[in-house]
Amino acid sequence: MSTYYEIFGGKINVLSADPSNPVEGQMWYNTTTEILKYQSVTTAGAWASGGNMTTGRSLLAGAGTQTEALGFGGYTTTFVANTEEYNGSSWTGGGSLNTARYILMGTGTQTAGLCFGGTSTGNSNATEEYDGTSWATSPGTLNTAVRDAGACGIQTAGLCFGGTSTVQFITNTEEYDGTSWTVGNGLNTAVQGNAGAGTQTAGLSFGGEVTGSVVTNNTEEYDGTSWASVNNMNTARRLLGDAGIQTAALAFGGYITAVSNATEEYDGTSWVTSTNMTNARHTLAGAGTQTAGLGFGGTSATNATEEYTGAGAPLTKTVTAQ
Amino acid sequence: MANKNYQYCVAECWGKGFITHNDSTKFSISGFPGNVWQVPANNKDANLWINGVAGIRKTLEEAQAIVTEQVQIAQAAYDALPADDPRKLQNERPNDIVLPE
Repeated sequence: MSTYYEIFGGKINVLSADPSNPVEGQMWYNTTTEILKYQSVTTAGAWASGGNMTTGRSLLAGAGTQTEALGFGGYTTTFVANTEEYNGSSWTGGGSLNTARYILMGTGTQTAGLCFGGTSTGNSNATEEYDGTSWATSPGTLNTAVRDAGACGIQTAGLCFGGTSTVQFITNTEEYDGTSWTVGNGLNTAVQGNAGAGTQTAGLSFGGEVTGSVVTNNTEEYDGTSWASVNNMNTARRLLGDAGIQTAALAFGGYITAVSNATEEYDGTSWVTSTNMTNARHTLAGAGTQTAGLGFGGTSATNATEEYTGAGAPLTKTVTAQ
Repeated sequence: MANKNYQYCVAECWGKGFITHNDSTKFSISGFPGNVWQVPANNKDANLWINGVAGIRKTLEEAQAIVTEQVQIAQAAYDALPADDPRKLQNERPNDIVLPE
């Protein structure tokens, strides 16, 4: 039988505190807690609870990363303008939207966020930019007022696709350059309640509801010019959460015939099923990446936040005697 | 007596740390309305988690009653929405939930 020394090339460390950056395979004994630990990596994606939002809500938008996220707009018992910022542990209030709305779209980062569309008393084409402190109304407005669309990109290169305008299920695509919106080539399939990931030149649309109110698993990729149909998700759903990029996207939650907690990862070619969310929900917001995703808010105006860590992430384990 | 696959508890999610990645890689946790949490029965790690979050254990029947009450409240709220409210198109009426044994 091989020894730890033979495998790892070192002895088990005896430390008064856990090492700050342990490497995979490293083992140590913590003299303070009197616990033997070792560093492993996750073999599958996993969800964990994050800090609760201050204002629980559904039909909101999100942007940013797992440790620097932005949640804004949405519906509590009425449509709201509230913005909240997440630091990886807790949410704090940020500057409010100039136009309160819900079923809106968002993208960008915590310090350079973008908000567009949605509805209050009617569908909106208003666009607002966040600088980390406050929202400013952009002179550029969507050419078509829309809600419930997919979104991706950054503040100076945003993308809006699908949704509901004066009619349900549209193919419309619009590109934002930081100043104005330009109409692009439409999706192959008209859709609403779809999710989005990626950038303006490498975007991804997935899920939603298509003509006839049929929940779909359609996936399409945008190359900056046109959309192409690619492999479908395993679970058709709409009003789902999203994160990531075109070649590493994350889909979670949504609505099929009931609220879903299904999670799937896309690698640029195909979708694979991952670990379910803890709380099934729809009309939630998403942020982050495929390996460090964030889902927050959603059905019944929940304030619940969940953090997703993809397979291969560092994980400290405890050795217990049987 | 039939073997139970799940056990239930009520615990308020305080946020970060309530469920850790380590927890969710060791056993499955599902949340339901009314702060009801479902974890595997006869599972040491799940039992430790319930104790750690100060969960109050509930029988299947007790947990079902809590969930059903919350679902009915949500259904009533949905039914009270005006017909032209966009949420009628977005928020599908909450379904009844039947907790498995």
